[in-house]
Amino acid sequence: MGILDPLYWVVSGVMVFIHRALSPVFGETSGVTWSLSIVALVILIRTLLIPLFVKQIKSQRALTALSPEMKKIQQKYKDDRQKQSEELMKLYKQHKTNPLASCFPILAQAPIFFALFTVLNGIGKNPPQARGTFTPELAEQAAAAKFLGAPISETFLGSPNTTTKIVTVFLIALMSLTTFTTQRQLMVKGMPKLDTTNNMMLQQQKILLYLFPVIFAVTGVNFPVGVLIYWSTTNLWTWGQQYYVIKRNPAPGSPAWEELQKKKAAKGLIDDVTNNGSVAVEDPEKPKGQRNQPKKKKKKNK
Amino acid sequence: MKFLMAPFLLIIRGWQKFIAPGLAPRCKYYPSCSHYTYDAIKRYNILGIFMGVWRVVRCNPFSHGGVDYVPTSLKLGPIKIGAR
Repeated sequence: MGILDPLYWVVSGVMVFIHRALSPVFGETSGVTWSLSIVALVILIRTLLIPLFVKQIKSQRALTALSPEMKKIQQKYKDDRQKQSEELMKLYKQHKTNPLASCFPILAQAPIFFALFTVLNGIGKNPPQARGTFTPELAEQAAAAKFLGAPISETFLGSPNTTTKIVTVFLIALMSLTTFTTQRQLMVKGMPKLDTTNNMMLQQQKILLYLFPVIFAVTGVNFPVGVLIYWSTTNLWTWGQQYYVIKRNPAPGSPAWEELQKKKAAKGLIDDVTNNGSVAVEDPEKPKGQRNQPKKKKKKNK
Repeated sequence: MKFLMAPFLLIIRGWQKFIAPGLAPRCKYYPSCSHYTYDAIKRYNILGIFMGVWRVVRCNPFSHGGVDYVPTSLKLGPIKIGAR
């Protein structure tokens, strides 16, 4: 009994359950059934995490109301990053809203990923090792199941099979591409323009944008096809989720938000785009002239 | 004892340099969990590791975050370890 044993049971349990449910449709030994059982695992986990995501988006929306105050803080502590972050955090806390996601969504997924890795790795052993709810027969069946012609238990390095090599390279490319586009989408469109002072971080982010595909390529060659399927699906989900939010509910002050604002104005949903835009776009004069409320609140903050 | 903490500090620095910038800014606290843990280990050695873990636990979807520095003094009771 290891610490991760319960997780093996959950991961393999979900896989076996979905496999059984889909067997009548695609056939028991079909690769489609086994591949879909991995995809279903992703869908289940990500669906469970949706409430957290919605919560985070809601607090981001609440920030629209705070943006004049945020601007004030940024103007006031222009040259002092530390003080600026401190004051922003104080502001969030005071209003009991925090747009930041915390590490939990990542930490929650990491053990599941490792459990899946171990389960699939076990299946990849010769003879296949059955972990969790897998019976030896099921493990053997899963090991032989093929995704696009490549057994889901094989790795790029561990298999002489050309098809496996092609499929793993394809999946690694897909992983890299989805990570790259997700990250780029966020950097170009999704993030508030507030961070322009922090060039160092932006620079680092840019480097990583290109470094991640390399890291994937190096590590991915050791991953079984099944793990690569899991990872690619997760990435696709993340990308889709982010795309939806950036289109429909972008962070206040981000380029995507300005675009949406313009669109709404064009449709006549907002009467004055410059008025709304000035909160986000650098223009310290206008908010001061128009809004009195933030001024008062700032004094309270002191 | 201090030199035993070096690998932990190195891991944190590595995280800050190579992994964290790839994620969107996400820590609900200031200073961020990694900076907090780094400072905590520097100040309290091995205790700092637990303080860091506790900080990451506190930084969850239900907390409101805020400004939270490593305390300058700790009450050393068996239960109060790391609890602000």
